[in-house]
Amino acid sequence: MQAASLNLLSKHLVGMVTPTSRPLLLLHIFIFPFQAEMILLEMQDPNTGVRSQPQRLVITTIPHAITGEDIVTWLADRLQIDVQEARSFGSMLVALGYIYPLQDHKRLVIKPDTSLYRFQTPYFWPTQQWPVEDTDYAIYLAKRNIRKKGLLELYEQEQYNRLHKWMNHKWDFIVMQAKEQYRAAKERKKPDRVVFDCQERAYWVVHRPPPGTVSAMDYGLDRRTDPNADETQTSDYYERIMIFTQQAIMRPRVKSSVSIGALVKHCATYIGHDPFLSACLPSNPWLTDDTTYWNLNMSNVETPTKMRVERWTFSFKELLSDPRGRDDFRLFLKKEFSGENLAFWEGCEDLKWGTAATMKEKAEQIYKTFLARGAPRWINIDGKTMEVTMKGLKHPHRYVLDAAQTHIYMLMKKDSYGRYLKSPVFKDTVKKAIRPEEHKFNDAQLEQNARNRRPSLSPIILRQQEQELRAKMAANAPVDITQLCRFTTPVPHFSVYSGIIDPPSSNTSPSLPFLPHTPICPSPISVALDSTSASERRLEASEGEGEQNTEARVPDRGNVSKSRVALSLRRLLKRGCSPSAMFASLSPKCHTAAATSSRIQPITPDEPSQAPPRRTGNFFQIKVDIPPECRIYPIESEDEEEENRLASEEVVGTEEIICPWESLTQQNGTG
Amino acid sequence: MGKEECKTMLDALNKVTACYRHLVIALGSTSDSQNLREELKKTRKKAQELAVANRTKLTSLLKDKSISKEDRAEYERLWVLFSSSMELLEVDMKRSLEIGQEFPIKVPTRHFIQTGMTGSTNAVAARAMSVQNMKYEADSNIDTADLRDLQTEITQVTQMVEEMEMKVQVAPWAVVAKQEAGAELKSNMSVGNSSVGVISICEEEPKDDESGGIMYIRSILFIK
Repeated sequence: MQAASLNLLSKHLVGMVTPTSRPLLLLHIFIFPFQAEMILLEMQDPNTGVRSQPQRLVITTIPHAITGEDIVTWLADRLQIDVQEARSFGSMLVALGYIYPLQDHKRLVIKPDTSLYRFQTPYFWPTQQWPVEDTDYAIYLAKRNIRKKGLLELYEQEQYNRLHKWMNHKWDFIVMQAKEQYRAAKERKKPDRVVFDCQERAYWVVHRPPPGTVSAMDYGLDRRTDPNADETQTSDYYERIMIFTQQAIMRPRVKSSVSIGALVKHCATYIGHDPFLSACLPSNPWLTDDTTYWNLNMSNVETPTKMRVERWTFSFKELLSDPRGRDDFRLFLKKEFSGENLAFWEGCEDLKWGTAATMKEKAEQIYKTFLARGAPRWINIDGKTMEVTMKGLKHPHRYVLDAAQTHIYMLMKKDSYGRYLKSPVFKDTVKKAIRPEEHKFNDAQLEQNARNRRPSLSPIILRQQEQELRAKMAANAPVDITQLCRFTTPVPHFSVYSGIIDPPSSNTSPSLPFLPHTPICPSPISVALDSTSASERRLEASEGEGEQNTEARVPDRGNVSKSRVALSLRRLLKRGCSPSAMFASLSPKCHTAAATSSRIQPITPDEPSQAPPRRTGNFFQIKVDIPPECRIYPIESEDEEEENRLASEEVVGTEEIICPWESLTQQNGTG
Repeated sequence: MGKEECKTMLDALNKVTACYRHLVIALGSTSDSQNLREELKKTRKKAQELAVANRTKLTSLLKDKSISKEDRAEYERLWVLFSSSMELLEVDMKRSLEIGQEFPIKVPTRHFIQTGMTGSTNAVAARAMSVQNMKYEADSNIDTADLRDLQTEITQVTQMVEEMEMKVQVAPWAVVAKQEAGAELKSNMSVGNSSVGVISICEEEPKDDESGGIMYIRSILFIK
């Protein structure tokens, strides 16, 4: 029975093993352990098992070390598979923690040479029903701390700090237990002590892998229900089946010839670009530990690779979703002086994906810049879409600009994209695109690469770089045909699409030749920079006069709903509101407050109520390489705070663009 | 005074838990033997006695309504120590059952895992039992007979742990630890009957400069 089942087992296992050097372990983790244990037991046999030899250390000799090549040969022999598969299988055993390497203990692979391995004790085998506890890890780290006298590795230090914070209530126990276990371990003889240390260390390398290593223990998310468990057949179960089948009948269906055709086309197009299916130039970083591929394909790289450029020709979506492609497209549009479409599209994306707090102001800004009559970067959308959008803007939400965005997207796709692909900009990019040489690493070089793995740039720094780039771009912004405004300065976080050239000058209204009736749209920030106290006092005095003044000042406002709106906006801008506070102050209650204070506090989120302060400072002080201004909060709220600090008493420019939804709220206001 | 007694008892329980863990780790490996099974059994029994004693003492202390706030906080801290020890013990007992079943001693062809550990564990057990030398008197079917006992004991311990959680009104997360981070480095390590030894870790390449830490030094560490 044993032999027969083992033969079946070996055939089954052969099917499971993939020929790549890093086998996919996700499925195997559930079925594998039982079978692995049987194989392991066989390997112990003194006659038919793996040949073991003593390991000679400086003082002691420890038995039961096995070489990588012996393991691989034995596996190939026993399971009747070829050497490559035996190697993968052996690596799986090591990655799961049944065997651990004695040299280079962090790389959990089988090296088919004389490097030594040893079997792990059954207590430390990975089995599903024994979850790996953080308490144990904390005890281990404390023990290691004792042994290493405070010199832990960086990731261990981080884990230590983290556990100390989260398991603080158990910390006494952890310290006590660590000390006791340390002392108990010393009761054993020297060789056994060494072995125990190696075993424990190997166990934790498997279950708490150092950063940057691929862990065999990754099995995805924990689920509340086990999808493989049998479900009880209650009436609810049948009801769900019925609902599902009813919905399935009603679903619109596509002919399989059509859908399969689409799949085939997709596969044929993308097969060269899929790193699983074809070679990745220069080399796949996951396999060779060489990050050239990622460096060559970063979002702000000067010369893209040929493969990347080819992808842009597949569809407009590909072009837009690649940041480098989008840059190229933006450059092309800049040359054609029609960058407003792309800018609008990006603004809509920004709105959709941004934080809820900034949404209203973003919507307003987009309206002012792109949609309003006489806006500086006016986009051309049809009447019906415009109507829908304006209606939606009265109660702005995340998807209010969806219709307009889709319209513009289709416009770009049908019109500009085609021209882009034939343009000299694109042709130039194609010519300059590089095709990197394929790396051919030998084993020694692969080892070297693995040893030299370094963590990549922190995402905080990357985000900062992106912000800087955007600000720079806004500073040398493109000119659109419809653009006219000389008086708006780029607002920092809207710099992508505000696209303005000149810095703001005086308050006098210029009459620009080609669009005489278009008002200037000062952004609150620029107005703030321009303000003088004299003009403010003047305004304040004049405010009481109400409608006459405003009408006098706003002569060509006939088509916009009345001066009350102008008055309200001016009042708000005078009071130094940042846009985020604008809607807050439009509400009736805030008006009285607005009248009195010269600086409105924006709706700040409540300080998160502190948990009862536990004085648990970090034991290990870890230096993180980020510049001091950079903080881990979402950048949008950061900017708002800064804006509020900057905004001072300001005076309003003579004419502004009025947002149509203000008229609604103004009726409730105290005027 | 109640607190000191509790502390000594908890220290003893802590010691026995640590030693029990070391013994269970040796199960199934080449240092497994009949003696080990017996050591496990004895250590386990001792642990259980200590557990019961600790529990009665602590519950009586906690039930007492007339104690001061600091006292109560201290007892709660001791309670968390006690329950954590019990959790470890429970897990280790369950594992020893499983491994013990998988690696029986009395079979014609023993297949213990060649882990490289070959020495005996009697010093560890002696430490747990607080005796100088262990005496072995068990009969040869200890592995099967003991496993049955072990199963009953496990159920007892599980029950006790559940009872503890249900009946004792202590919020473990509210306890503030007395030891701060890095406390393990502060005490002197010369306690215990250990000899001057030399440990060399498995040979490693010395150049490992990915982080600030200095790790695998290919040198000899002297540990007192």
